[in-house]
Amino acid sequence: MRKGRYLLKRLIYIIFVFFIISILMFTIYKALPGDPVKMMMGDNVKPEVYQQQYDIIREQLGLDDPIPVQYIKWITNMLRGDFGYSTEYRRPVKDVIGVPMRNTVLLNLFSMIIVFAVAVPLGITTAVRKNSIFDKFIQVITIVGYSVPSFVIALLAIYLFAIRIPLFPISGVKTAGFEGTGMAAFLDSAKHMILPVLVMSVGGIGSITRYVRASMIDALRMDYIKTARSKGLREKVVIYVHAFRNALVPVVTVTTWWLIGLFGGSVVIESIFLWDGLGKMMITGLSQRDFAVVLAMQMFYVILSLVGNVLMDIAYTLVDPRVRLEN
Amino acid sequence: MEMQTEKKKVLLSIRDEKQYFPVKKTGFREEQKYVKANDGISLDIYEGETLGLVGESGCGKSTFGRTILQLYPQTDGEILYEKDGKMMNLKEQPAETMRGLRRELQLIFQDPYSSLNPRMTAGQIIGEGLTSHGLYKKGDPALREYVLEVMKKCGLDNYMFSRYPHQFSGGQRQRIGIARSLALKPRFVVCDEAVSALDVSIQSQILNLLLDLKEEAHLTYLFITHDLSVVKYISDRIGVMYLGNLVELAPTEGLFERTLHPYTKALLSAIPTTDVNAGKRDRILLEGDIPSPVSPPSGCKFHTRCYQCQEKCKKDVPMLEDKGNGHLVACHYPLES
Repeated sequence: MRKGRYLLKRLIYIIFVFFIISILMFTIYKALPGDPVKMMMGDNVKPEVYQQQYDIIREQLGLDDPIPVQYIKWITNMLRGDFGYSTEYRRPVKDVIGVPMRNTVLLNLFSMIIVFAVAVPLGITTAVRKNSIFDKFIQVITIVGYSVPSFVIALLAIYLFAIRIPLFPISGVKTAGFEGTGMAAFLDSAKHMILPVLVMSVGGIGSITRYVRASMIDALRMDYIKTARSKGLREKVVIYVHAFRNALVPVVTVTTWWLIGLFGGSVVIESIFLWDGLGKMMITGLSQRDFAVVLAMQMFYVILSLVGNVLMDIAYTLVDPRVRLEN
Repeated sequence: MEMQTEKKKVLLSIRDEKQYFPVKKTGFREEQKYVKANDGISLDIYEGETLGLVGESGCGKSTFGRTILQLYPQTDGEILYEKDGKMMNLKEQPAETMRGLRRELQLIFQDPYSSLNPRMTAGQIIGEGLTSHGLYKKGDPALREYVLEVMKKCGLDNYMFSRYPHQFSGGQRQRIGIARSLALKPRFVVCDEAVSALDVSIQSQILNLLLDLKEEAHLTYLFITHDLSVVKYISDRIGVMYLGNLVELAPTEGLFERTLHPYTKALLSAIPTTDVNAGKRDRILLEGDIPSPVSPPSGCKFHTRCYQCQEKCKKDVPMLEDKGNGHLVACHYPLES
């Protein structure tokens, strides 16, 4: 009952915050210099008809209305599921954004699975075997992993695994002119995905391993671990049930932000691998003053982080009984 | 007295027990140094007795208790535990045998706050050891019955079964810790400052509880504390520790009436009293701090602070010697002799 009321309250907050941010965003983007219509028309229009056409498009896009009117129109369309018209692609935003979003989510999802499959066991092992040679070795590797910029790792990976030993394609989402379906299509895109997924995982493995190790070391130092051992529990139970459950809170925080970032896309990696994803989309949108696309994406991220925060709080109550959801 | 002691069955025989902890090196080429927390302790613990262990903070009392239970990788010495007429060296037992023995060798922790897993309910904390040793099956209604019974014995109500540690007070938490160790029906319990964190009123409650349970289950306690009035109340014999060594070991009355070691004398003179007519007490003040256990003084470790130190004390290490009536002391010049 209390949980239900709490969640309702959080939901109302989310709506409230969403509208405030939407007003701020809209105003900021309207205040940005640059004329989307000019960008859209380019230089190929004859000077005699330029002004006439310019006025028509402005009229069509509703850019001549006062800002508050534009905002109301935009937000009502938005809530109805109409995200506007992309001046860059000359198509509705909804149609433009689908494929990149699929690509980005796929990329991030796979790298997240790899990161957690590697980092959590590795973090636990290094914490249990603190100061051993193995631990010190992993410490060095992880610090290199997360401090070397991803573009360096990307270029290195391309050089090694696409040029020196040509196992994988250098870039792209699928082979040019590829027409297969089903299994063949899956294999083709998997082959393209392996390198970017690996490169994205390196940094994540580095930082999450260190997070898990640090919080495990804290947990293992507690007296209740000695209690657990003196009860005569198996070492596995002591480590995985008693220590790891207590080490989970910081891991939950990192995981949630990662989940939110899943949809963000990485500008650097997507550019290097010519991956048609959201990060690339955002950059093109900004440089082409394609505000409808950029705004739609921004609002999507706003909702994601607001909902993500609520999910994180709920997850805390699951891992730690001391956390209560109250006002 | 002497006769009685000899008839008693030895439960634990500790010989030259040493526990060193490595000190973190500061320089690259520096020699590895050790904190000598326990530096060669020998004593016997008899079945059914309460052995009190006192000493200043940092003298190695807690380490001694935990090393007996093999919670640290023991550095050196023998800890022999009597089981079915045989003496087993705990250090040499394989991990799985030791795990089984832990049911019989229990520990009550000093800090009731950090020693309970915050993610588990009181019922889970008490019941986990039971299922782990196969005494009950998980989810067995008899397990719940038994846990509730133990909780009741320790003064915890039924409704506390599914509460988490943070919902309890310090005294209640300590009782959970006690219930936890006693639920396993141990033979030997190390009470590591089991009452130091509690209010005086609760202290006496818990002490009486421990004494009652001891009568009932024929337990043996190693009672570690720095509180001399507590130790006087509960112990049959008292051991006094200084800087990793046992300096005096005697039956409780003998220790208070015929104190032999100058350090014990100073320690006992510090017991506060409420008797206004006692007048001026001969309070012996020790000068200086307790020396570093990394590089302890030569000879008798106490010579740097001893008020009757002689030349010999600085060179020769005194051995623990029997001065009659089961009264052991490690001093070249014991008092009253």
